[in-house]
Amino acid sequence: MSDTISRKSKKPVKVSTIFLYIFAIMWAVLTLFPVFVTVLASFKSNSEIYLNLLSLPQKWLFSNYVSANKTANALRTVGNSLTVAFCTTVANTLVGMMAGYILSRKSYGFLKYVYLFFMIGVMVPVHCTLVPINNIATALSAKNNLFFLILVYVAFNMSQAIFLYVGFLDSIGRDIDEAAIIDGCNDWSLLWRILFPICKPILATEAIFIFIAGYSELVFSMILMTDERRFTVSRAMLNFSSVHTQDIAPQFAFVVLSFIPMVIIYIVFHSQIEKGMLSGAIKG
Amino acid sequence: MVGSKANKKIKRKWKPKDLLISLLFLAPAVSICIVFIIYPVIDTVTLSFKKWNGMYGVDKIFVGVENYVKIFSDRLFWNAMLNSVYFMIGGFVVLMPLAFGLALLITSKIKGTGFFKTCYFLPVMLGTTAVAMMWTFILNPNYGIAHTVQNLLGGSGKVLDVLNTKTLNVWVVVLVNEWMYAGYNMLIFAAGLVAIPDDINEAAELDGATGWQRIRYVTIPLTKNSFKIFSILCITGCIKVFDIIWAMTRGGPNDVSSTPSIMLYSQAFSYKLFGRSSAYGVILLVLGVTLSVLTNHLFREDKSVSF
Repeated sequence: MSDTISRKSKKPVKVSTIFLYIFAIMWAVLTLFPVFVTVLASFKSNSEIYLNLLSLPQKWLFSNYVSANKTANALRTVGNSLTVAFCTTVANTLVGMMAGYILSRKSYGFLKYVYLFFMIGVMVPVHCTLVPINNIATALSAKNNLFFLILVYVAFNMSQAIFLYVGFLDSIGRDIDEAAIIDGCNDWSLLWRILFPICKPILATEAIFIFIAGYSELVFSMILMTDERRFTVSRAMLNFSSVHTQDIAPQFAFVVLSFIPMVIIYIVFHSQIEKGMLSGAIKG
Repeated sequence: MVGSKANKKIKRKWKPKDLLISLLFLAPAVSICIVFIIYPVIDTVTLSFKKWNGMYGVDKIFVGVENYVKIFSDRLFWNAMLNSVYFMIGGFVVLMPLAFGLALLITSKIKGTGFFKTCYFLPVMLGTTAVAMMWTFILNPNYGIAHTVQNLLGGSGKVLDVLNTKTLNVWVVVLVNEWMYAGYNMLIFAAGLVAIPDDINEAAELDGATGWQRIRYVTIPLTKNSFKIFSILCITGCIKVFDIIWAMTRGGPNDVSSTPSIMLYSQAFSYKLFGRSSAYGVILLVLGVTLSVLTNHLFREDKSVSF
């Protein structure tokens, strides 16, 4: 932006460009700072942290990670959360696409009401279902059942996902359908073999957001999971920090362990996320 | 959207098999939503008129609107509402300018925008609880940044426990929330910015508009859509805040940093007032639906929004 002006008038542009860089670097530092502090502290001893949170570790200790894993089952809870997030994402995409396909491609009169039904789903704040879902889980003895938790998460993401999927599918021309139907496609193969691949890039963006939400969800895992071995990672971290208030270094290690999978996913998919968001995948 | 013209071409004859397939395709999504959203909502509404301690098998006693009367006469409820308003104010005063500024930055021609973009979005990926815990560590009075700085300067005495100080702690959580979502909203604004055709900017430049003038008279009007999306997300999101506050303050001390959804949780699972909690649920529901409908009407009156 500033480049183009610089050819005409040198001076004011320089100032604004420098200002931009300063702002950019400052926010980058502020963004990465807590992450660095946490990673550094995860290799320090408790007393070192009490002395100076910002210093480099005198000796790099891996024992904090071992201890976080031993006392709080860190890896197991990360595994639980990854399982829940993965299953939620897959189920949401499959079930949501099926419904989205019908809503976008068929013209039965009652579909208007089905669409409205999902619109209402978008507006309901999830927390107001907390007590009834707790009751359902008790009645079905589904507490500590990861599958039940997955179903709950699928339900919460469903309306929003269908809303987006109908939008994507509507933007794909019907001539593709007709060609496919003439070639002998039925609804199932038309959806999964023709339309699904076309939607893939934008589905991926939504999938990543469902994944993050499922991975770090807190409230429902607090009420539905009571057995420590079934804790999700968010639940386990909070529990760990309130039980072992003095032993702080392993807490830092646990936080680092919790975000390692997400950072890896981000490194792999970051351009996908940015592209999806920039093309307006989020509707509000 | 549903039932647009092109569909009519495909619909040749009425076929029972086609209807059956449609119903089968819809069935999983609809049934999941009925079981986990519609039924719970109905259950919340009925339970909100009853008194119940949450024990399975214990009778629920009908008490009329008592739960609502208790809530509306409770100072903590209004305090929780105020805290939600803080989140909204923070969203518009801090997050919106910040995210818009960052969006201008990553769509400008400075070097390294790719790195900055990736870096700014990172906090969303880490997960709310991890973010909350990192900041809780940093703000801790016994070993946090303030303590470290005090140590280095050789000072002594007690460091203020920010997360345990009334009102201040809510604002700190609000700021951490803005820190976390700055990158996310940056991309919402950037989506609007990249859609502005280059020649409009060039034309403005030829007309002698300075940088600020261009932003004020060209960029902002043309990214109105992004501002609408931001406003809808911000207003409807502020009553749903739970995770970040819970992870940082547990709604405390003495519930003063609670939002309505935290009150809902603690009434049921700390105080065993399940009827009261359900009444909170109904209030949340009414607020949520009203705000969604209202904001969508306010910000989306032009149907041409193509986002």
